[in-house]
Amino acid sequence: MTTHEAAEAARLRLRHAEAVGAASVRTRRARSARGYLVLGLATVAILAALFPLVDIIALVTVHGIAAMKLSLFTTVTSGVAGGLQNAILGTLVLVAGGMIIAGPLGVFTGIYLAEWAEPRVAAVLRYLSDVLVGVPSIVIGYFGFAVFVTGLGWGFSLAAGAIALATFMLPYIVRTTELALTKVPGELREGSLALGITRGRTIHSVSLPVAAPGILTGLLLALGIGLGETAPLIYTASWSNYDPHLVPTHSPVGYLTYVVWTFINQPFSASHELAYAAALLLLIGVLVLNLVARQLLVGRQAD
Amino acid sequence: MSGTRSDRLYRVGAGLVAGAVPLVLAAILVFILFDGLPAIRYMGVQFWTSISWNLGNEYGTALTVRNGVQAMQGASFGILPYILGTLLTSVVALVIAVPLGVGTALFLSEWAPARLRTFLSALVELLAGVPSVVYGLWGLAVVVPAVGASVAPWMAAHLGFIPFFAGSPGSGPGLLAAGVVLAIMVLPLIAATTRDAMIQTPQAQREAAYALGLTKWEAVSAVVLRGSRPAIVGASILGLGRALGETMAVLMVCGGAVNLLPGNLYGPVNTLAAVIASQLDSALTDSTQMAVHALAAVALTLFVISLIVNGLARLIVREEARA
Amino acid sequence: MTTETKTRTEAVARSRSYADEPAVAAIAAARAPRPEAERQKIRVDGLNVFFGPQQALYDVDISFPEQQVVALIGPSGCGKTTLLRTLNRMTELVPRSRHEGDVRLDGASIFGPEVDVVDLRRKVGMVFQRPNPFPMSILDNVTFGPRRHGVRNRALLGEIAEQSLRSAALWDEVKDKLNQSALGLSGGQQQRLCIARALAVQPEVLLMDEPTSALDPISTGKVEDLVRQLAETYTLVLVTHSLPQAGRVADRVAFLLSGRVVEEGTAQAIFTRPKDARTEDYLTGRLG
Repeated sequence: MTTHEAAEAARLRLRHAEAVGAASVRTRRARSARGYLVLGLATVAILAALFPLVDIIALVTVHGIAAMKLSLFTTVTSGVAGGLQNAILGTLVLVAGGMIIAGPLGVFTGIYLAEWAEPRVAAVLRYLSDVLVGVPSIVIGYFGFAVFVTGLGWGFSLAAGAIALATFMLPYIVRTTELALTKVPGELREGSLALGITRGRTIHSVSLPVAAPGILTGLLLALGIGLGETAPLIYTASWSNYDPHLVPTHSPVGYLTYVVWTFINQPFSASHELAYAAALLLLIGVLVLNLVARQLLVGRQAD
Repeated sequence: MSGTRSDRLYRVGAGLVAGAVPLVLAAILVFILFDGLPAIRYMGVQFWTSISWNLGNEYGTALTVRNGVQAMQGASFGILPYILGTLLTSVVALVIAVPLGVGTALFLSEWAPARLRTFLSALVELLAGVPSVVYGLWGLAVVVPAVGASVAPWMAAHLGFIPFFAGSPGSGPGLLAAGVVLAIMVLPLIAATTRDAMIQTPQAQREAAYALGLTKWEAVSAVVLRGSRPAIVGASILGLGRALGETMAVLMVCGGAVNLLPGNLYGPVNTLAAVIASQLDSALTDSTQMAVHALAAVALTLFVISLIVNGLARLIVREEARA
Repeated sequence: MTTETKTRTEAVARSRSYADEPAVAAIAAARAPRPEAERQKIRVDGLNVFFGPQQALYDVDISFPEQQVVALIGPSGCGKTTLLRTLNRMTELVPRSRHEGDVRLDGASIFGPEVDVVDLRRKVGMVFQRPNPFPMSILDNVTFGPRRHGVRNRALLGEIAEQSLRSAALWDEVKDKLNQSALGLSGGQQQRLCIARALAVQPEVLLMDEPTSALDPISTGKVEDLVRQLAETYTLVLVTHSLPQAGRVADRVAFLLSGRVVEEGTAQAIFTRPKDARTEDYLTGRLG
């Protein structure tokens, strides 16, 4: 560089340094203020997000506990009052039924996706599974109604309700199972295969045990989802004032979410009490499932 | 049985089981399509453009026949109000949930001390597990009275210069209440997804920003917000998809409007999902079954809209990720 | 001047093929000594740095003269990076970090209550081991700093960008593609972009944390040439693992071991006549 160029560059540098330095000093206060403003907004955001949660839990807990009595578990509903025995049992039976169908189906589909399927087939299957997740629950409910209740003539029934719930839970289980299996380190699988162990046995003695916490968590979460669903059941299980008869067809089944939905709209305080009690039971159920699932994941991962 | 043979059997078996997913999906589509077709044949395009939902004269015996399908006299099934209601409630929900969700995620990822972060994150995720009827319960007990007594009147009085915000503040149940409840339901999804993306911003990028003499907020906005934009967009659309299909909570607070288009933010509305749930009982009284077919067509419409929105979500996420 | 350059070039070439002590010493010796610095740009006084219960630096006393290159050398974990990062208070980003002692920039403590960390970091810039350009265009990367500091004038920003890219010896290579993504550049170019980005906010000091360790030999060479050039204007502190590199670019060298400064002096002195046995052990490869 010639001396002239060097001097020119130095002059430019000086000008730039002055400009940037001055701008920095001038805008300093505004920059800090902007930062505090954003922090404030973010704090407001999280408070606004947590407030409903706290409010819901408080609302349900306060009213629910007030309505809690032992007779709830031992009496059935009669009209819009009474107890919750039929609803509780109905929920348990329906969710269990749904899990019996969706559990094995979902887990094996997840195994297929993670272990057997060719990439293109897997991609298509995964896409379809995601689509199924996106199907609105009422559409699944209507589907259950059209096919099983009227189509096959089963009427409002345990089977129809369980199948509708299963349809809803299935894609979640598929997804979580596949995810848990893909997290199994490849070296473990390869090690087993290198010993001459069949693919199938490798899956069961190596991959599945490692993925088990993840798979179980997925099942528990699906259980929680099934517990809280209403729309798939309205027109498949319908409602019953009696304990579930444990026959698959031609006998409607009651469930807790129905109580929350309909009883709160009744003008009687006794009905409202039942609605809150049912809501509390549901919240407890979901909370317990959530905590157990979390423990499973954390506990096993610590190994 | 030889190793490869047992493996092959396993593969085939698992493949058959996996066929359940496409089978069920196809079954849903096929059944709803065929069940809804008569109503669409009856109404033509007017099914989606007409405003009136009328089961016709159910107590009479007169039947009309149109395009080869019969219905009660005077029956007309138009779902435009429900389509609009579905879209509007979802939009209101997103307008509320996206800023709150991103703000929550920002707080959790950038300002919350580590222990608080896990606790608060767990709390936010717990929100996601609450059953929708319980949201509806809370909506009825808290949101509707609040909207009806305070929020809507205040907004109508002070924000009335904005076209949709003017007019009668209503009595509570309606578009605004439904939008608020939906927003709270969708919030955990948006917050959790966005927070995960934000936390993954490489530390090197943050350091580069700080080393240039940026304030904390400037570094965060430049590096973290910009980097998680694809996640924000993706999460928002996923939230939209969820809001579109939500039934129970909306049903309980929307006001159950039939035969009228939403006039302003506060009036009663109805959504496609809510209408299926609330109208099936009365539809069953239609001896021609046309009302039931109409509801199937509503389900079909809802299904297709969900498909499109979720598909769009996937496309946009992929595009953003590439950018 | 030519003879000196030739001797130096030969010595440089040799040092790049062997990392042996005589070669390194030869380069240092071959370089014409720089005029003694007018003043100390940065003065470190009895600095102790802690991360939680761990102490990383013990009673560090060292000065960084104006417009000279000081290389910090030493085995892994010796504290050279911690020292570097204390100079622009980046250590404060680590939770539970604290310090005792003082660091003075132009005579004023950088930890003073009236000191604005944001302003300090503008004046004391940093280049990192791995190039970390922002996922934006090349131009946006370079103008990022000035813009955030309040410079709005488009023309001025363009000028600053060009000047910084020239100073980083990158202008000719990118002047036609300023709007393309920075991530499309090669590793060496990205690192020079990061240097340009740091220069754009008009710092007085440039801290470099092993800036060439992730680069190929040719890019390394370019960056080293850059460092020599930048020393005409800026004060540079360079952490490096490569002794030949220190020999090639540094005016002064400080050897650190286990959080302490063992020895410090001109590059020539350190490489040819180290006073401490540990320094000699490190230079001859017997240590770390």
